[in-house]
Amino acid sequence: MSSPAVSDAQLIARVLVQDDRHAFGELVRRHQSTVRACLRKLTTGNAALADDLAQETFLLAYKNLKSFRQEAKFSTWLYRIAYNAFLADARKMKESPLADDADLDALSAEHHETEESRPVARAASLKIDLERAMATLSDAERAAIIQCYHNDLSHEEAALVLGCPVGTVKTHVLRAKQKLKARLGAWAPPT
Amino acid sequence: MMTMNNQMPTDDDWLEQALRANAREHTASYLPDDGFTARVLGQLPRPAALPAWRRPALWALWAIVAIAILAALPVWFEDVFSNIAALFLGQRLRLTDVAMLLTLLGGVTWSALFFAARTE
Repeated sequence: MSSPAVSDAQLIARVLVQDDRHAFGELVRRHQSTVRACLRKLTTGNAALADDLAQETFLLAYKNLKSFRQEAKFSTWLYRIAYNAFLADARKMKESPLADDADLDALSAEHHETEESRPVARAASLKIDLERAMATLSDAERAAIIQCYHNDLSHEEAALVLGCPVGTVKTHVLRAKQKLKARLGAWAPPT
Repeated sequence: MMTMNNQMPTDDDWLEQALRANAREHTASYLPDDGFTARVLGQLPRPAALPAWRRPALWALWAIVAIAILAALPVWFEDVFSNIAALFLGQRLRLTDVAMLLTLLGGVTWSALFFAARTE
């Protein structure tokens, strides 16, 4: 993918100096997909909640743009705001909403029916089981996996997003993988 | 799920592979905007607009300040200023000339300020 003609830093400067809303709109357009997708993972597939949180994320980003110091990538800064918005909502709701199990069951059953004959269906089944297993992780563990794998951040960047030490991120990832292994044990190759 | 054992690659870290594959899929999938950006822009706080009464109020304020300065000018300062002006302009300036000059200066200053602080 070619790099955009105007960098994020230039757009941010326009917003800060001229209150250029078109520039901010361009920033939202560029990052909406990744932020919304990340929040969908965090909310275990609740698209409506994820979009509400994404909207809140960008509004908070606009209000606090002056505090963005360009030490990290703009996307990393957005992930941090998104994660904080998710945590605040999870605290408010006491428990984060899980994906509709009925829907997952239906999808899972559909894929299991054909898994003997279609490798694609097997991969899809694993994906569904993985999504379901991800939903059983704690918020912190799931967030660590999402930042390190799905958002492809280094442990240091993930620590910045999650607001915790690097060692804690590593621990969360390790624990999450142990839980996923236990949960998805049936998918493990025979020893 | 329980029948998968003999169908997975015999890699040491099958979970790592599964996570990576899931992440690749996540990265490759682009969520269409579908009006999301417009909704965000619609919720941004409104830009701070200058109140309509501000311009005449500031003009009046500047006029008062100019008059006050002129009234407070000591006589010796007026003399010095007039002599300096005479040096460059070839004629002595009267108090009214100074007042006009200050008013002009004030007008230019405030105009520049208004231009700089204007909102779209």
